[in-house]
Amino acid sequence: MNIHPDLRALRSDDAPQRHAQQALHRAMAAWRARPEFAALVDDLARLATGEPLDRCPALAALFADGGSGGQSLVSGFISHSAQALGDAPLAHVPMRHFTDGCTSTLLLARSGQVTLTLIALDGNELRNRPAPQNISFGPNETWELVLAGRAVADLIACEPSGPRSARLDRRALALAPGTVLQRDGQREARLVRSIEGTLVSLRLQRRRANAGPTREYNLESGALVHQAAGNPRDSRLELMLALLGRMQRKDAAPLMAALAQGDASAALRWQALRECLALDTQTGFTALSAIAGATGDALAGPAGALRAQLVEAHPQLQDLAQLQDLVQLQELATCPA
Amino acid sequence: MKLPSIDLSSLPDLDTVTGLFGSLLDTSGTVYSDDTIVMLMVFLYELVPPSSLL
Repeated sequence: MNIHPDLRALRSDDAPQRHAQQALHRAMAAWRARPEFAALVDDLARLATGEPLDRCPALAALFADGGSGGQSLVSGFISHSAQALGDAPLAHVPMRHFTDGCTSTLLLARSGQVTLTLIALDGNELRNRPAPQNISFGPNETWELVLAGRAVADLIACEPSGPRSARLDRRALALAPGTVLQRDGQREARLVRSIEGTLVSLRLQRRRANAGPTREYNLESGALVHQAAGNPRDSRLELMLALLGRMQRKDAAPLMAALAQGDASAALRWQALRECLALDTQTGFTALSAIAGATGDALAGPAGALRAQLVEAHPQLQDLAQLQDLVQLQELATCPA
Repeated sequence: MKLPSIDLSSLPDLDTVTGLFGSLLDTSGTVYSDDTIVMLMVFLYELVPPSSLL
Protein backbone atom coordinates (compact mmCIF):
# COMPACT_ATOMS: atom_id res chain seq x y z
CA MET A 1 0.00 0.00 0.00
CA ASN A 2 1.26 3.43 -0.92
CA ILE A 3 0.92 5.97 1.88
CA HIS A 4 1.85 9.59 1.36
CA PRO A 5 4.84 10.54 3.54
CA ASP A 6 2.84 13.39 5.15
CA LEU A 7 0.13 10.93 6.20
CA ARG A 8 2.71 8.38 7.33
CA ALA A 9 4.35 11.00 9.54
CA LEU A 10 0.99 11.70 11.21
CA ARG A 11 0.83 8.09 12.43
CA SER A 12 3.61 8.65 14.91
CA ASP A 13 2.92 12.31 15.65
CA ASP A 14 -0.57 13.79 15.24
CA ALA A 15 0.45 17.25 16.48
CA PRO A 16 0.71 18.74 12.93
CA GLN A 17 -2.85 17.58 12.19
CA ARG A 18 -4.17 19.10 15.41
CA HIS A 19 -2.40 22.35 14.57
CA ALA A 20 -3.79 22.29 11.02
CA GLN A 21 -7.31 21.75 12.37
CA GLN A 22 -6.88 24.59 14.83
CA ALA A 23 -5.76 26.83 11.95
CA LEU A 24 -8.99 25.98 10.08
CA HIS A 25 -11.08 26.70 13.18
CA ARG A 26 -9.34 30.07 13.52
CA ALA A 27 -9.83 30.90 9.84
CA MET A 28 -13.56 30.09 10.01
CA ALA A 29 -13.92 32.03 13.27
CA ALA A 30 -12.29 35.04 11.53
CA TRP A 31 -14.77 34.72 8.65
CA ARG A 32 -17.69 34.53 11.08
CA ALA A 33 -16.38 37.52 13.05
CA ARG A 34 -16.92 39.85 10.09
CA PRO A 35 -19.70 42.38 10.78
CA GLU A 36 -21.78 41.34 7.74
CA PHE A 37 -21.89 37.78 9.07
CA ALA A 38 -22.96 38.97 12.54
CA ALA A 39 -25.89 40.78 10.87
CA LEU A 40 -26.82 37.54 9.08
CA VAL A 41 -26.75 35.56 12.33
CA ASP A 42 -29.08 38.11 13.95
CA ASP A 43 -31.45 37.83 11.01
CA LEU A 44 -31.41 34.03 11.10
CA ALA A 45 -32.51 34.18 14.74
CA ARG A 46 -35.23 36.68 13.78
CA LEU A 47 -36.44 34.49 10.90
CA ALA A 48 -36.50 31.51 13.30
CA THR A 49 -38.97 33.36 15.54
CA GLY A 50 -41.39 33.48 12.60
CA GLU A 51 -40.69 36.98 11.18
CA PRO A 52 -41.14 37.35 7.41
CA LEU A 53 -37.96 37.52 5.32
CA ASP A 54 -38.46 41.20 4.42
CA ARG A 55 -38.11 42.04 8.12
CA CYS A 56 -34.65 40.43 8.02
CA PRO A 57 -32.74 42.89 5.80
CA ALA A 58 -29.32 41.21 5.86
CA LEU A 59 -30.82 37.86 4.84
CA ALA A 60 -33.22 39.38 2.31
CA ALA A 61 -30.25 41.15 0.67
CA LEU A 62 -28.70 37.76 -0.14
CA PHE A 63 -31.59 36.98 -2.50
CA ALA A 64 -32.45 40.49 -3.80
CA ASP A 65 -31.30 42.09 -7.10
CA GLY A 66 -30.28 38.87 -8.81
CA GLY A 67 -28.56 37.64 -5.68
CA SER A 68 -25.47 39.86 -5.74
CA GLY A 69 -25.43 39.80 -1.90
CA GLY A 70 -25.50 35.99 -1.89
CA GLN A 71 -22.74 35.84 -4.52
CA SER A 72 -20.51 38.10 -2.48
CA LEU A 73 -21.14 36.19 0.79
CA VAL A 74 -20.28 32.86 -0.81
CA SER A 75 -17.23 34.08 -2.75
CA GLY A 76 -15.92 35.63 0.50
CA PHE A 77 -16.43 32.31 2.27
CA ILE A 78 -14.81 30.29 -0.50
CA SER A 79 -11.72 32.48 -0.82
CA HIS A 80 -11.33 32.46 2.97
CA SER A 81 -11.68 28.69 3.35
CA ALA A 82 -9.67 27.90 0.19
CA GLN A 83 -6.78 29.97 1.47
CA ALA A 84 -6.91 28.23 4.85
CA LEU A 85 -7.08 24.83 3.14
CA GLY A 86 -4.15 25.81 0.90
CA ASP A 87 -2.06 26.37 4.02
CA ALA A 88 -3.32 23.20 5.73
CA PRO A 89 -4.48 20.79 3.00
CA LEU A 90 -5.15 17.85 5.37
CA ALA A 91 -7.49 19.81 7.63
CA HIS A 92 -11.31 19.80 7.40
CA VAL A 93 -13.56 22.80 7.08
CA PRO A 94 -15.21 22.62 10.51
CA MET A 95 -18.82 22.88 9.35
CA ARG A 96 -21.56 20.29 9.11
CA HIS A 97 -21.43 18.74 5.67
CA PHE A 98 -22.75 15.87 3.60
CA THR A 99 -21.95 14.31 0.25
CA ASP A 100 -23.11 11.25 -1.63
CA GLY A 101 -21.09 11.99 -4.77
CA CYS A 102 -24.06 13.71 -6.40
CA THR A 103 -25.32 16.15 -3.80
CA SER A 104 -22.93 17.94 -1.46
CA THR A 105 -24.06 20.30 1.26
CA LEU A 106 -22.24 22.58 3.67
CA LEU A 107 -24.13 24.23 6.51
CA LEU A 108 -22.95 27.86 6.68
CA ALA A 109 -25.15 28.99 9.57
CA ARG A 110 -28.14 27.90 11.56
CA SER A 111 -30.58 29.20 14.12
CA GLY A 112 -33.30 26.91 15.50
CA GLN A 113 -35.42 25.73 12.59
CA VAL A 114 -33.62 27.94 10.05
CA THR A 115 -30.60 26.84 8.04
CA LEU A 116 -28.38 28.59 5.48
CA THR A 117 -26.70 25.98 3.31
CA LEU A 118 -24.38 25.89 0.33
CA ILE A 119 -25.30 23.10 -2.08
CA ALA A 120 -23.53 21.61 -5.09
CA LEU A 121 -25.21 19.13 -7.41
CA ASP A 122 -23.03 17.22 -9.87
CA GLY A 123 -24.58 16.98 -13.34
CA ASN A 124 -22.68 13.85 -14.43
CA GLU A 125 -23.64 11.97 -11.30
CA LEU A 126 -27.24 13.11 -11.61
CA ARG A 127 -27.35 11.66 -15.15
CA ASN A 128 -26.38 8.24 -13.75
CA ARG A 129 -29.09 8.25 -11.13
CA PRO A 130 -32.49 6.66 -11.75
CA ALA A 131 -35.26 9.12 -12.51
CA PRO A 132 -37.27 9.89 -9.36
CA GLN A 133 -40.63 8.13 -9.06
CA ASN A 134 -41.98 10.19 -6.18
CA ILE A 135 -41.87 13.71 -4.88
CA SER A 136 -42.29 14.91 -1.31
CA PHE A 137 -43.87 18.00 0.18
CA GLY A 138 -42.94 19.04 3.71
CA PRO A 139 -43.73 21.88 6.12
CA ASN A 140 -40.95 24.29 5.23
CA GLU A 141 -40.25 27.49 3.36
CA THR A 142 -37.27 27.74 1.04
CA TRP A 143 -35.44 30.59 -0.64
CA GLU A 144 -32.84 29.52 -3.13
CA LEU A 145 -30.29 31.43 -5.18
CA VAL A 146 -28.42 29.78 -8.06
CA LEU A 147 -24.76 30.80 -7.91
CA ALA A 148 -23.19 28.76 -10.71
CA GLY A 149 -24.18 26.20 -13.34
CA ARG A 150 -27.26 25.82 -15.50
CA ALA A 151 -30.03 23.30 -15.08
CA VAL A 152 -33.49 22.35 -16.24
CA ALA A 153 -35.90 21.71 -13.39
CA ASP A 154 -39.59 21.03 -12.87
CA LEU A 155 -41.56 23.09 -10.43
CA ILE A 156 -44.31 20.83 -9.14
CA ALA A 157 -47.41 22.30 -7.53
CA CYS A 158 -49.35 20.06 -5.15
CA GLU A 159 -53.08 20.36 -4.55
CA PRO A 160 -54.41 17.62 -2.26
CA SER A 161 -57.46 16.00 -3.90
CA GLY A 162 -58.31 13.58 -1.08
CA PRO A 163 -56.79 12.09 2.06
CA ARG A 164 -54.51 9.83 -0.01
CA SER A 165 -54.05 11.66 -3.31
CA ALA A 166 -53.04 14.98 -4.82
CA ARG A 167 -53.13 16.77 -8.15
CA LEU A 168 -49.57 17.49 -9.23
CA ASP A 169 -49.00 20.18 -11.87
CA ARG A 170 -45.57 20.39 -13.49
CA ARG A 171 -43.98 23.46 -14.99
CA ALA A 172 -40.53 23.43 -16.58
CA LEU A 173 -38.06 25.95 -15.25
CA ALA A 174 -34.59 27.02 -16.40
CA LEU A 175 -32.06 27.62 -13.62
CA ALA A 176 -29.10 29.94 -14.25
CA PRO A 177 -26.80 32.05 -12.07
CA GLY A 178 -28.92 34.73 -10.44
CA THR A 179 -32.18 32.70 -10.50
CA VAL A 180 -34.01 33.09 -7.19
CA LEU A 181 -36.74 30.66 -6.19
CA GLN A 182 -39.03 30.96 -3.23
CA ARG A 183 -41.44 28.21 -2.35
CA ASP A 184 -43.72 26.85 0.31
CA GLY A 185 -42.62 23.21 0.67
CA GLN A 186 -46.14 21.93 1.34
CA ARG A 187 -47.44 23.35 -1.93
CA GLU A 188 -44.46 23.32 -4.26
CA ALA A 189 -41.44 21.13 -4.87
CA ARG A 190 -38.54 21.52 -7.24
CA LEU A 191 -37.08 18.59 -9.10
CA VAL A 192 -33.83 19.07 -11.02
CA ARG A 193 -33.94 17.19 -14.35
CA SER A 194 -30.55 17.87 -15.93
CA ILE A 195 -27.50 19.99 -15.22
CA GLU A 196 -24.66 21.37 -17.30
CA GLY A 197 -21.56 20.96 -15.12
CA THR A 198 -22.27 21.51 -11.43
CA LEU A 199 -25.18 23.47 -10.07
CA VAL A 200 -24.19 25.48 -7.00
CA SER A 201 -26.78 27.29 -4.95
CA LEU A 202 -27.32 29.02 -1.64
CA ARG A 203 -30.40 27.81 0.20
CA LEU A 204 -32.21 29.36 3.13
CA GLN A 205 -34.78 27.05 4.68
CA ARG A 206 -37.19 27.46 7.56
CA ARG A 207 -38.94 24.41 8.92
CA ARG A 208 -42.37 24.93 10.46
CA ALA A 209 -43.03 23.04 13.67
CA ASN A 210 -46.44 21.41 14.20
CA ALA A 211 -47.48 22.08 10.63
CA GLY A 212 -48.37 18.58 9.49
CA PRO A 213 -46.35 15.70 8.11
CA THR A 214 -44.16 15.45 5.03
CA ARG A 215 -46.14 13.72 2.27
CA GLU A 216 -44.61 11.75 -0.56
CA TYR A 217 -46.68 11.30 -3.74
CA ASN A 218 -46.12 9.23 -6.85
CA LEU A 219 -45.22 11.63 -9.65
CA GLU A 220 -47.36 9.88 -12.26
CA SER A 221 -50.51 8.99 -10.36
CA GLY A 222 -50.47 11.55 -7.54
CA ALA A 223 -51.18 8.75 -5.03
CA LEU A 224 -49.87 9.19 -1.49
CA VAL A 225 -47.13 6.58 -1.09
CA HIS A 226 -45.56 7.60 2.20
CA GLN A 227 -45.97 10.02 5.06
CA ALA A 228 -43.30 11.05 7.56
CA ALA A 229 -43.14 13.25 10.64
CA GLY A 230 -42.69 16.89 9.63
CA ASN A 231 -40.20 17.67 12.37
CA PRO A 232 -37.54 15.69 14.24
CA ARG A 233 -39.04 16.41 17.66
CA ASP A 234 -42.09 14.24 16.95
CA SER A 235 -39.88 11.31 15.96
CA ARG A 236 -37.61 11.80 18.95
CA LEU A 237 -40.64 11.70 21.29
CA GLU A 238 -42.01 8.66 19.49
CA LEU A 239 -38.73 6.79 20.00
CA MET A 240 -38.76 7.76 23.68
CA LEU A 241 -42.34 6.48 24.02
CA ALA A 242 -41.37 3.15 22.47
CA LEU A 243 -38.35 2.84 24.74
CA LEU A 244 -40.31 3.64 27.91
CA GLY A 245 -42.97 1.16 26.80
CA ARG A 246 -40.46 -1.65 26.27
CA MET A 247 -38.88 -0.80 29.65
CA GLN A 248 -42.33 -1.22 31.24
CA ARG A 249 -41.99 2.20 32.86
CA LYS A 250 -45.50 2.45 34.27
CA ASP A 251 -44.53 5.75 35.91
CA ALA A 252 -44.43 7.26 32.40
CA ALA A 253 -48.11 6.48 31.72
CA PRO A 254 -49.47 9.84 33.02
CA LEU A 255 -46.98 11.70 30.77
CA MET A 256 -48.06 9.59 27.81
CA ALA A 257 -51.72 10.30 28.60
CA ALA A 258 -50.97 14.04 28.72
CA LEU A 259 -49.11 13.86 25.38
CA ALA A 260 -51.99 11.91 23.83
CA GLN A 261 -54.41 14.66 24.91
CA GLY A 262 -52.06 17.54 24.05
CA ASP A 263 -51.61 19.56 20.86
CA ALA A 264 -48.91 17.43 19.19
CA SER A 265 -49.42 15.88 15.76
CA ALA A 266 -52.16 13.25 15.40
CA ALA A 267 -49.57 10.55 14.64
CA LEU A 268 -47.55 11.24 17.80
CA ARG A 269 -50.68 11.52 19.98
CA TRP A 270 -51.93 8.17 18.68
CA GLN A 271 -48.62 6.43 19.43
CA ALA A 272 -48.63 7.96 22.93
CA LEU A 273 -52.14 6.62 23.43
CA ARG A 274 -51.20 3.10 22.26
CA GLU A 275 -48.14 2.95 24.52
CA CYS A 276 -50.12 4.33 27.44
CA LEU A 277 -52.89 1.73 27.02
CA ALA A 278 -50.34 -1.09 26.92
CA LEU A 279 -48.47 0.21 29.99
CA ASP A 280 -51.33 1.15 32.27
CA THR A 281 -54.84 0.11 31.29
CA GLN A 282 -56.70 2.51 33.57
CA THR A 283 -54.70 5.65 32.69
CA GLY A 284 -54.73 4.74 28.99
CA PHE A 285 -58.44 3.93 28.88
CA THR A 286 -59.31 7.17 30.66
CA ALA A 287 -57.29 9.16 28.09
CA LEU A 288 -58.86 7.15 25.26
CA SER A 289 -62.36 7.90 26.54
CA ALA A 290 -61.57 11.62 26.90
CA ILE A 291 -60.28 11.78 23.30
CA ALA A 292 -63.21 9.76 21.96
CA GLY A 293 -65.61 12.22 23.59
CA ALA A 294 -63.81 15.42 22.57
CA THR A 295 -65.77 17.34 19.93
CA GLY A 296 -63.68 18.50 17.01
CA ASP A 297 -60.70 16.32 17.88
CA ALA A 298 -59.27 14.69 14.74
CA LEU A 299 -58.64 11.54 16.76
CA ALA A 300 -62.17 11.33 18.22
CA GLY A 301 -63.33 8.91 15.48
CA PRO A 302 -60.47 6.39 15.69
CA ALA A 303 -60.44 6.69 19.50
CA GLY A 304 -64.17 5.93 19.67
CA ALA A 305 -63.73 2.88 17.43
CA LEU A 306 -60.79 1.61 19.49
CA ARG A 307 -62.73 2.14 22.72
CA ALA A 308 -65.64 0.07 21.41
CA GLN A 309 -63.23 -2.62 20.20
CA LEU A 310 -61.49 -2.81 23.60
CA VAL A 311 -64.75 -2.98 25.55
CA GLU A 312 -65.87 -5.86 23.32
CA ALA A 313 -62.57 -7.72 23.65
CA HIS A 314 -62.23 -7.13 27.41
CA PRO A 315 -65.66 -7.17 29.10
CA GLN A 316 -63.97 -6.07 32.36
CA LEU A 317 -63.51 -2.65 30.74
CA GLN A 318 -67.28 -2.33 30.51
CA ASP A 319 -67.53 -1.25 34.17
CA LEU A 320 -64.76 1.32 33.73
CA ALA A 321 -66.43 2.65 30.57
CA GLN A 322 -69.80 3.00 32.34
CA LEU A 323 -68.16 4.76 35.28
CA GLN A 324 -66.45 7.18 32.90
CA ASP A 325 -69.68 7.83 30.98
CA LEU A 326 -71.38 8.57 34.30
CA VAL A 327 -68.65 11.02 35.32
CA GLN A 328 -68.92 12.72 31.92
CA LEU A 329 -72.70 13.03 32.27
CA GLN A 330 -72.32 14.54 35.74
CA GLU A 331 -69.78 17.04 34.38
CA LEU A 332 -72.19 18.01 31.61
CA ALA A 333 -75.03 18.40 34.13
CA THR A 334 -72.99 20.69 36.39
CA CYS A 335 -71.51 22.71 33.51
CA PRO A 336 -72.86 26.29 33.82
CA ALA A 337 -73.15 26.66 30.03
CA MET B 1 -61.58 -3.07 39.82
CA LYS B 2 -59.47 -5.75 38.15
CA LEU B 3 -58.45 -4.52 34.71
CA PRO B 4 -56.95 -6.59 31.89
CA SER B 5 -53.55 -5.77 30.50
CA ILE B 6 -53.67 -4.79 26.84
CA ASP B 7 -51.24 -6.13 24.28
CA LEU B 8 -49.63 -3.30 22.28
CA SER B 9 -49.74 -5.30 19.05
CA SER B 10 -53.54 -5.60 19.35
CA LEU B 11 -53.90 -1.81 19.17
CA PRO B 12 -54.39 -0.59 15.59
CA ASP B 13 -52.46 2.19 13.87
CA LEU B 14 -54.18 5.14 12.22
CA ASP B 15 -55.27 4.66 8.58
CA THR B 16 -52.22 6.53 7.32
CA VAL B 17 -49.13 5.53 9.25
CA THR B 18 -46.54 8.28 9.77
CA GLY B 19 -42.88 7.30 9.46
CA LEU B 20 -39.92 8.84 11.22
CA PHE B 21 -38.77 12.32 10.27
CA GLY B 22 -36.67 12.19 7.12
CA SER B 23 -37.93 8.77 6.02
CA LEU B 24 -38.70 8.48 2.30
CA LEU B 25 -39.57 5.73 -0.14
CA ASP B 26 -37.79 7.30 -3.09
CA THR B 27 -34.59 9.11 -2.16
CA SER B 28 -33.48 10.12 -5.65
CA GLY B 29 -33.38 13.86 -6.09
CA THR B 30 -34.75 14.76 -2.68
CA VAL B 31 -31.74 15.68 -0.56
CA TYR B 32 -31.01 18.62 -2.78
CA SER B 33 -34.42 20.19 -2.34
CA ASP B 34 -35.06 19.56 1.31
CA ASP B 35 -33.53 19.82 4.72
CA THR B 36 -34.64 16.45 6.03
CA ILE B 37 -31.46 14.88 7.31
CA VAL B 38 -31.88 12.21 9.92
CA MET B 39 -29.62 11.91 12.91
CA LEU B 40 -30.25 9.10 15.34
CA MET B 41 -28.28 9.11 18.55
CA VAL B 42 -28.69 7.06 21.67
CA PHE B 43 -28.01 8.68 25.00
CA LEU B 44 -28.02 6.82 28.27
CA TYR B 45 -28.57 8.92 31.35
CA GLU B 46 -28.17 7.62 34.85
CA LEU B 47 -31.15 8.73 36.89
CA VAL B 48 -29.44 8.00 40.17
CA PRO B 49 -25.75 8.90 40.00
CA PRO B 50 -23.37 6.58 41.82
CA SER B 51 -22.52 7.80 45.33
CA SER B 52 -18.97 8.65 44.28
CA LEU B 53 -20.40 11.47 42.13
CA LEU B 54 -22.63 12.91 44.82
